[in-house]
Amino acid sequence: MNTFSNRAVKGLTKIGNIYCPKNGEFPAYEEVAGLHFLNTLAVNVPKDDFTSLNLVLIIFSFLPNGILRWLVGKFEAAQEDDSEGIIASTLRQLNLGLRGLCYSTYYSEFTNPAYKGRTPMEIIDYKVNRVTN
Amino acid sequence: MIYDFIVVGSGSGGGALSYYLNKSGANVLLLEAGKFYRKDTFPKTEAETSAQLYWGGGIEFAQNGKMGFLRTKMVGGSSIVYQCLMDRFDDIAFNDWRAESGVDWFTPEQMDPHYSQVESDMVLHTFKREEMRPNGILFADACDKLGYKWGFLRRGQSDCGADKGNDCVGCLGGCFRDSKQSSLVAFIQKAEKEGLKIQAETEIYKVEPNKDTCKIHGFHQGKPVTLEAKKVILCGGAFGSTRIMTMSGYASKLPALGKKFASHPQFMWLGFQNEPVDAHKGMFQSVASKDPNFRAQGFKLENVFASPISIGMLMNVTGAKHQHYMKQYRYMQCIEVAVRDENIGEIKCDNKGKLTIVKPLTDQDKTRRDKGLHAIENIMNAAGAKEIFKSNFYFGLHLMGGCVMGTDASKSVVNPDFQVHGEQTLYIADSSIYPNAPGINPGLTIKSLGHRLATQLLK
Repeated sequence: MNTFSNRAVKGLTKIGNIYCPKNGEFPAYEEVAGLHFLNTLAVNVPKDDFTSLNLVLIIFSFLPNGILRWLVGKFEAAQEDDSEGIIASTLRQLNLGLRGLCYSTYYSEFTNPAYKGRTPMEIIDYKVNRVTN
Repeated sequence: MIYDFIVVGSGSGGGALSYYLNKSGANVLLLEAGKFYRKDTFPKTEAETSAQLYWGGGIEFAQNGKMGFLRTKMVGGSSIVYQCLMDRFDDIAFNDWRAESGVDWFTPEQMDPHYSQVESDMVLHTFKREEMRPNGILFADACDKLGYKWGFLRRGQSDCGADKGNDCVGCLGGCFRDSKQSSLVAFIQKAEKEGLKIQAETEIYKVEPNKDTCKIHGFHQGKPVTLEAKKVILCGGAFGSTRIMTMSGYASKLPALGKKFASHPQFMWLGFQNEPVDAHKGMFQSVASKDPNFRAQGFKLENVFASPISIGMLMNVTGAKHQHYMKQYRYMQCIEVAVRDENIGEIKCDNKGKLTIVKPLTDQDKTRRDKGLHAIENIMNAAGAKEIFKSNFYFGLHLMGGCVMGTDASKSVVNPDFQVHGEQTLYIADSSIYPNAPGINPGLTIKSLGHRLATQLLK
């Protein structure tokens, strides 16, 4: 079972606050994210990839926010450029992997049950009817 | 026990093939690496769907990190989460297949009985004007203004409950009404009632064919397992079948193994409208381009959409800017271009089974992409979009090649009878045998090839 360390969760929270900051109606990532669901979401991630991701998040937990913002800018830029090199490839995969984790615990039902405000799903007014037969 | 047939993989190819083999009274075992979900046990949320139903925990990447591949892991395979669009291949696709492979039966006429049988075993629905939702109407009306030809989609579905207020976007994580004619609904569950043996959570890594039987080795719920059949048919898809063949040592015998990979790269753009589009409501995908000029230029357009996490992933901006766009989720019009790409990709596998996918876009692919995106921009502008988000992230759902069919063993992996070159008891019947990208939804043809092989094996 893949299990994020507490330190890695702290790193994800810091990066999540950059991806999903407190902004108008939108709550900050740290307020609303369903962090206790993270391990459930990583159940099918290959062990090697998960170990690397956990380590990256631990490193992020020690970095100042300014550095993290600079890194996020690098992630975005890598997505836009045409470089085939390993650094650009790694940055792109980190960009999508980290955003995937953050959005899965922000624009989803997997939010913090203790959070009492309007969730991002309510703010974007996303409702889906499931009519079973 | 020695089975008559073991089918490895339960997606479009494996599901249909095992159904037709089982119907004859043969002793058939269907294996699947993933879990066995039913309509009442599919994940209920987008986040769980990505995490639980997809290899890699949601997405796998090309080596350059630019392209994502979506590949599912459950009984029914990708047919569970795809839109179940059922199109026959045209002359263009089959002509190119014949030219690439040397296989003379790749013609609409020769495939007609197989298409017909599969179509008769599914419930098919062609959409009508009154079923169109705003996302489709915006697309169709703008196409009319611009002189682009469009048409209604034909989809495998029985009763989606749209008239009762059901929103089909939920079925991207598995149809909870058993309406979508996935491999599970159209074939596997029917065959199960007629005695088909199904073993989920069984991942095969090696095949050992000999003259009379074929042994396979793998893990069932983590424990080693060896099984044997008179004939084994790999239906694990482009990545799965190529991985098993490579781990079984065929790379040195068959130089084409892992080569000629294509994936119909898909680019989704979002147009922001002044009024709500609610593209996620009701039957959310009903029309597509049917323009012969687009076909000739190597792309097609569809009015697709997705749930919030996936839409959020398309937009490579962060923070307040990203939230600004997400706030307009209900106002998004969405169109995708699928490129008929060149088959120069490669599926590599190391001795531990780790896959590396090399999938650059060629100059021709980029030209086709750009023409398609230009058409999308025209359509969105004609539809009155106040802003267009031009996402540069692209992904592949139609994973094809790696074990291509052909007459020449130096350029292909299976012969025109679906047999691995040089083997008597080992076959492959899934999208990995596609000689090149057809530029048409591959699902119906995968099933029909399964029917063709079943007919041949039962003679």
